[in-house]
Amino acid sequence: MRWEDVWLRYRRRDPWVLRQANLRLGAGEAAVVLGRNGVGKSTLLQLAAGVLRPARGRIVDRPRHVGWVPERFPADQPFTVGRYLTGMARVAGLGGAEADRAVRRWTERLGLTPFHGARLPELSKGTAQKVGLAQAMLRRPGLLILDEPWEGLDAAARDLVPALIDEVLAAGGSVLVSDHRGETARLPGAARWTVADGTVTAHAPADAQPGEIVVVEVAVPAARAAGAVARLRADGHHVLRVRADPVAPDAPVAAGGPAFPGPVIDAPPAPPAPLGAAPGAVGSEAGAVDTSGPAGQVLR
Amino acid sequence: MTALVRLRLAGFLRTGRAVAPLLAGLLALGVLYGGGRAQPAEAYGVSAVVLFPVLAWQTKILLDVEPDVQRRLALVLAGAARERAAGLLAALLAGLGTVAVALVFPWLVGGVTSQGEPGGRSVAAGVALGVWAHLLALPAAVALGALASRAVTGSAGYGVAVLTLGAVGSLVLGLSSSVVPWLAPPLMPVARATAAGPSAATVALLTAWATAWSATVLAGYAWCRRARA
Repeated sequence: MRWEDVWLRYRRRDPWVLRQANLRLGAGEAAVVLGRNGVGKSTLLQLAAGVLRPARGRIVDRPRHVGWVPERFPADQPFTVGRYLTGMARVAGLGGAEADRAVRRWTERLGLTPFHGARLPELSKGTAQKVGLAQAMLRRPGLLILDEPWEGLDAAARDLVPALIDEVLAAGGSVLVSDHRGETARLPGAARWTVADGTVTAHAPADAQPGEIVVVEVAVPAARAAGAVARLRADGHHVLRVRADPVAPDAPVAAGGPAFPGPVIDAPPAPPAPLGAAPGAVGSEAGAVDTSGPAGQVLR
Repeated sequence: MTALVRLRLAGFLRTGRAVAPLLAGLLALGVLYGGGRAQPAEAYGVSAVVLFPVLAWQTKILLDVEPDVQRRLALVLAGAARERAAGLLAALLAGLGTVAVALVFPWLVGGVTSQGEPGGRSVAAGVALGVWAHLLALPAAVALGALASRAVTGSAGYGVAVLTLGAVGSLVLGLSSSVVPWLAPPLMPVARATAAGPSAATVALLTAWATAWSATVLAGYAWCRRARA
């Protein structure tokens, strides 16, 4: 997707919300939109989604299937979760059986199965937000646009968002995320688009030369180590070594220095991670994947 | 697009907001047919005029039921043109339902007579003229309702103003003394024609007029929606 000299204002004689934005987001690339409240992040995302049209300039090469997750899901609708998602799958152009399959798949993945028959207005904010995520993913988007996707989600669901993003990127799609809470530290490798005073400044991802290798440290119960290694290898990852001595998942991270006395899976010295991912645990079936610190990054 | 039409019709019917315009329509028809038996063609001509504001209001309600963000979500998934067309189609289908009620209603309450008309016109011909009159009013009403919808007008007050002025203007400008009758859809001329028994040329002219008016207003709707989703 390319932005060529895009200007936007809501009405004639209003001040410009965006001025002369020239941006580019290629296939398999992600960008995080940063900026203060009310600076125009959502506006930028709605332009990308095609909801708003530029007053001047144009946006070209937008992928055919776009998934847009609005900041607040419009829950004031007289449908159940299942009926709504099936309807939206059909609106997105999926056939009857395909739509049912997609709805089943995404309600399961997002933990919405217990809410299948619940009416949208009765959902909690976080659950409604998950319905918003589901409708965008029903037909695999070539461009996924997430407006503050972490808002209102519980810890387990928060970890799901990077997984969805990764999936879209792996399939050759692009992802655009807005964030004002620093959650996107979970997305190393994303470009940064900073919005301020109507101008957008794009910064290339600080650390993500394509093909660069980073290291993820994983703690698993000893009894399951062999299985975990086998699964990681089966997924195409390069397992460097296995050692005893589990590291507490919430161990403090010293920026710029070695994080742990001895990593579980180690690698040749990786460059310091500028994005200092938040020390958080990504739930695996039994252990924890620790994404913290300089030595701990992605294995792809 | 059928999926979106169905989703919107379902939203309209399930919220219960369909009830208000239907009741208003029935009330208007009740007043209209309360005076005694009339010839079908004449009665239906007036019925189409009376239903015009109701159908436009119903269209506005149907298009406004959906939250703004949901309309944008549908636009992202289906594309702008299909999103707009689906809304209009849903409104047209809902309007056909109301028109069907209006066509059946007088027979249930004894508002029309099945005796042959004095001019030698059969009851069937009278009913056919009535169907024609309603089918001319419906697209014009849908176009006006769409122009008054929140997606175009933004605020509730402005939307009601567009709807009211459009409906009242359509009736007033259609009076036989009007200087600019072509500014309004041909509701009153159609009513006069059905009462008098129109010639084929009149039918063709009025049909073309109604079509052109509806098309112009719908083009205005599309133009207003091009920047605002």
